[in-house]
Amino acid sequence: MKAKKEAMAGSLESSDVLVTIRPREGEGVECTIESIVLKQYGRRIRSVTEEVAAAAGLSGAAVRVQDRGALECTLRARLETAIERSTAGT
Amino acid sequence: MHPPGPPGNRHRAVDRRYVSSPALDAREERWARRLSLAGSLPAGGSLLTLTLRLPAALRLGGDFDGAARALFEALEAEARTSGSPVLSSEFKISADGPEGWLALGTGARAAKTLALGVEEDHPWGTLADIDATDARGQPLGREDLGLPPRTCLVCGGPAAVCAAGAAHGLPELRAAAETVLARPACTPGRIGRLALQALLEEAAVDPKPGLVTPRSRGSHADMDYFTFLAGAAALAPWFAEAADLGAGLAGFASTEDPGAQDLLDRLRAAGRRAEAAMFEATGGVNTHKGLVFSLGALCAAAGCLAARGFVPTAESCCDTAGALVRAAATADFTAASAKPEAELTAGERLYRSSGVLGVRGEAARGFPSALRIGLPRLRSGLAAGLSRNDALAEVLLALCAEVEDTCVLARGGPEGLEYLRAEAARALGLGGLSTSAGRAAVRNLDEGLIARHLSPGGCADLLAVTDFLERLG
Repeated sequence: MKAKKEAMAGSLESSDVLVTIRPREGEGVECTIESIVLKQYGRRIRSVTEEVAAAAGLSGAAVRVQDRGALECTLRARLETAIERSTAGT
Repeated sequence: MHPPGPPGNRHRAVDRRYVSSPALDAREERWARRLSLAGSLPAGGSLLTLTLRLPAALRLGGDFDGAARALFEALEAEARTSGSPVLSSEFKISADGPEGWLALGTGARAAKTLALGVEEDHPWGTLADIDATDARGQPLGREDLGLPPRTCLVCGGPAAVCAAGAAHGLPELRAAAETVLARPACTPGRIGRLALQALLEEAAVDPKPGLVTPRSRGSHADMDYFTFLAGAAALAPWFAEAADLGAGLAGFASTEDPGAQDLLDRLRAAGRRAEAAMFEATGGVNTHKGLVFSLGALCAAAGCLAARGFVPTAESCCDTAGALVRAAATADFTAASAKPEAELTAGERLYRSSGVLGVRGEAARGFPSALRIGLPRLRSGLAAGLSRNDALAEVLLALCAEVEDTCVLARGGPEGLEYLRAEAARALGLGGLSTSAGRAAVRNLDEGLIARHLSPGGCADLLAVTDFLERLG
């Protein structure tokens, strides 16, 4: 599913994460990860982001993850909601 | 983040388990509302949002709603006391748990400072998460004020790391939160005990150049350690009484209020009675007159803060004590300028001749020497593993090296003061109590002060004040 429009999910509150998806040229998915716990969990956040994007079949998208210390289940939920919102109508 | 678990179904489409959570939806709505409310603020205004720093399972249970409401009320009271215009205020229980909204006419930096006051000083403040947003929708966090991130309720590590990793189980977190809610109130009795303990510890510290210790009379022919114990014992009831009268002041918005003035008069009268009791117990020797005044003011301040629902910290206590004594100190010095020379105290005589303020000036300015010189030195000494005796002895040296001790100035003049400051600094420079060269310098200073009949009593009082503030915090 191609990203059709810019969409967001989540918040910048403590223990939450704000996911922003923008359409981009080509088929690839480009992920940008920012986190207050990057040192501890940066790799895990990236692998979860890539896994959820792949599972949803996302393509042609720039995914920005601004993490404020969210649990993994919260990150998954925010990613899936943002993908759903960005690809709605395809 | 959880540690990587067993691989799940990697080919599922959208997992509804994660998407439809009322708590997550509520947080998203709150975020959207925060941005839109911030956008509607007048320029220079700010928005504070208060939530509980607890996992959803505890936030949503209702057990902590009352604490959240109390914290929000304390925040609003702080805003009003500080003179920040409150534009709107709302507290509600959302699908994500309790949340409070406070729109202020002051900037985000001032608002965040108020929020930090509640987070740090309120007995339950550690449970609150208070976010500040400016009128352009920009959040302003602790890092923007140069402060370290918050620590975990359970283990004291960085909170975000523990939260993201779900490092602690629910029972552990619930127990930690309930311990916070059960935190003992800072009663006048406890405040008084800490003040008395400070008096006793200050007397017990050895070595103290020129001063009375359990092993030395220092420069004093008329008193020894037991005279100090007698003076301290006589003052035992005074400090709790001061804290109790200070608690009464919490009910008044201003010390100008006639009711507050009456309490301040009673505080002064109680202080004079305490002084008389001390002189009676010591056979007319002044062991603690300065501390009746300065620790008395600090106890009244701590009592006042505690009665307003705050855990008094060293900083808030000094700040409030300064405000309490400012009017009184000014009045005292004005009175001193009218007194005949023979009736003046050493401090008053010095003030008249040189404008040096001494103990009353220190108190009126909120004890800057104790806060900026004594307390950091005591904390770093204890953290470095020094015994309390040695850490306090080094605090005394640090104070002697920097403060204008009015006792020394009155008897030894500028030369005496310069001798004390230079030698105390030299002893610290040689390693203080941790090196034999430092200890030798302290012994030399002791002998030098005794030969000159000098005793840094002002610094000794600040040492007791520092000890009290450290125990309080």
